[in-house]
Amino acid sequence: MLDIIIYGAVISAVYALLAVGFTLIFGVARILNLAHGAFYALGAYCVYTLTANLHVPLVIAAVIAVLLVALFGIAMERVLVRPLRRLPPLAVLMMTLAVGLMVEQILLLIFGSEARNVPSLVESSFNFGGVLLSGQRLLAFFCSVAILGGLWLFMQHTRLGAAILAVSQDPEGARYMGIPSDRIFSIVMGLSAAIAAAAGVLVAPFQSVIPGMGLLPLVKAFAIVIVGGLGSIPGSIVGALLLGYTETIVAFKASIEWSQIVSVAAVLIVLIIRPAGFFGKRAAF
Amino acid sequence: MGLLELSRLTVHYGKALALENLDLEVREGELVAVLGSNGAGKTTLLKAISRALPSRGAMRFDGVDIGDVPMHQVVARGICHCPEGRRLFPELTVLKNLQLGAYLRDDRAEIAADLERVYALFGVLRERARQQASTLSGGEQQMVAIGRALMGRPRLLLLDEPSVGIAHRLKMQIFDSIRAIQQSGTAVLLVEQDARSALGIADRVYVMEHGHIVRAGTSAEIAADDSVRQAYLGV
Ligand SMILES: Nc1ncnc2c1ncn2[C@@H]1O[C@H](COP(=O)(O)OP(=O)(O)OP(=O)(O)O)[C@@H](O)[C@H]1O
Ligand SMILES: [Mg+2]
Repeated sequence: MLDIIIYGAVISAVYALLAVGFTLIFGVARILNLAHGAFYALGAYCVYTLTANLHVPLVIAAVIAVLLVALFGIAMERVLVRPLRRLPPLAVLMMTLAVGLMVEQILLLIFGSEARNVPSLVESSFNFGGVLLSGQRLLAFFCSVAILGGLWLFMQHTRLGAAILAVSQDPEGARYMGIPSDRIFSIVMGLSAAIAAAAGVLVAPFQSVIPGMGLLPLVKAFAIVIVGGLGSIPGSIVGALLLGYTETIVAFKASIEWSQIVSVAAVLIVLIIRPAGFFGKRAAF
Repeated sequence: MGLLELSRLTVHYGKALALENLDLEVREGELVAVLGSNGAGKTTLLKAISRALPSRGAMRFDGVDIGDVPMHQVVARGICHCPEGRRLFPELTVLKNLQLGAYLRDDRAEIAADLERVYALFGVLRERARQQASTLSGGEQQMVAIGRALMGRPRLLLLDEPSVGIAHRLKMQIFDSIRAIQQSGTAVLLVEQDARSALGIADRVYVMEHGHIVRAGTSAEIAADDSVRQAYLGV
């Protein structure tokens, strides 16, 4: 029982990290970003290259990786997505899909298909009432919670955060205030990419780092956001908890394989019962 | 020299012509009203001025051509637009809405002073500051919208039908406050359906029909014009 609570918390926190960025860029710019999983994979590969090939210390490598992926997200929005904004939304969707596939292929060309190892920052394990948890998982949990908390503070207490919320609620209204919505879209894409990359960096030591590693997280983020309501940040956190714990329970009581079906099943059930998601009204924080 | 000078302003929606060769001027500190029936092009005019819509023709503000500056720079130069339908941020508090009006400003002390001025103008907003904007009544929301535009510290305030759908008593309060805004030195370009109230507070009036200005004059001249009296005052 305790093992489910502890492992579920770690998974849920990482899922929340993935889903929050995915829902943010949808809520603000109405972009359903199929390259979101690519940000996560890029984060993991950046930290791998920086540590294994360039021998950068792990902590510094992690920070650089997150920043690089943020820049990648901003560049993608500026160069590839923005010119398509006047076209039907399907064009943007196809572009994000293309970017996602392209990133995977490039990673495959450079690194090949075998799994890469990223060292853990914390090597020791911790014992919680008989449940053994690796230090890296513990770190992933605390960093995820800290990032989510930081994001909340940023949105609530900064001018830029308020502008992002304003654009998500009424982009045209925001433009009358002199808020340049194009620039906000870029910033949010960068923010969303940074958060996804942070998730990739945090889990890289205990996940296999392979070129296709972004697909499952994309599906998970999608599922969570469907459950929580597209564009709702609190909804995506609740969705992450629901999915993270359901998966953990299934993994412990049945098998790991079965747990991977949970997210797909959750999407189907929610779409049938409540298509808008449980927080469908877009209550951003 | 006028604060805002438009000459031969032309706006299209796709192929459809919405404004054609329109000349208009607002002088420093003046309150100018634009009257016209539904679809005359009043909203289009205000949107062209704040650069929410592309336009052709000359557009000068304070002597400088603003015909091709981006929308946020128009706000920075001192044209603040309180748009049709208010466009508040419904899930943000009244205070956040007001603060966002000052998004482009960095003078914190002056922003705080302007917030006090808005509260002085619309007392209820101080009580409602922590409430979500969507929980306010229509009239109160309109006050937030006007206050938010004032937070940009405009030299020219564009108001698009501020009295629409608002109970009579609040409506009078809103017209009084528009008057007070003008008396504090801000020029106002007011689009209004309620011609009688608009004529009551405006210095000058333009009348629009089908994307053209068909009459212009002082409020007294326009109020005395028979065709205007028939069309807009029903007398
Ligand atoms: N986005 C748009 N696309 C195409 N045509 C438009 C658009 N917006 C307005 N129009 C047309 O332009 C003309 C002027 O519209 P506008 O909204 O400026 O009128 P208005 O004077 O503000 O009317 P109202 O009093 O109803 O607000 C109308 O014929 C309208 O149908
Ligand atoms: Mg209108």
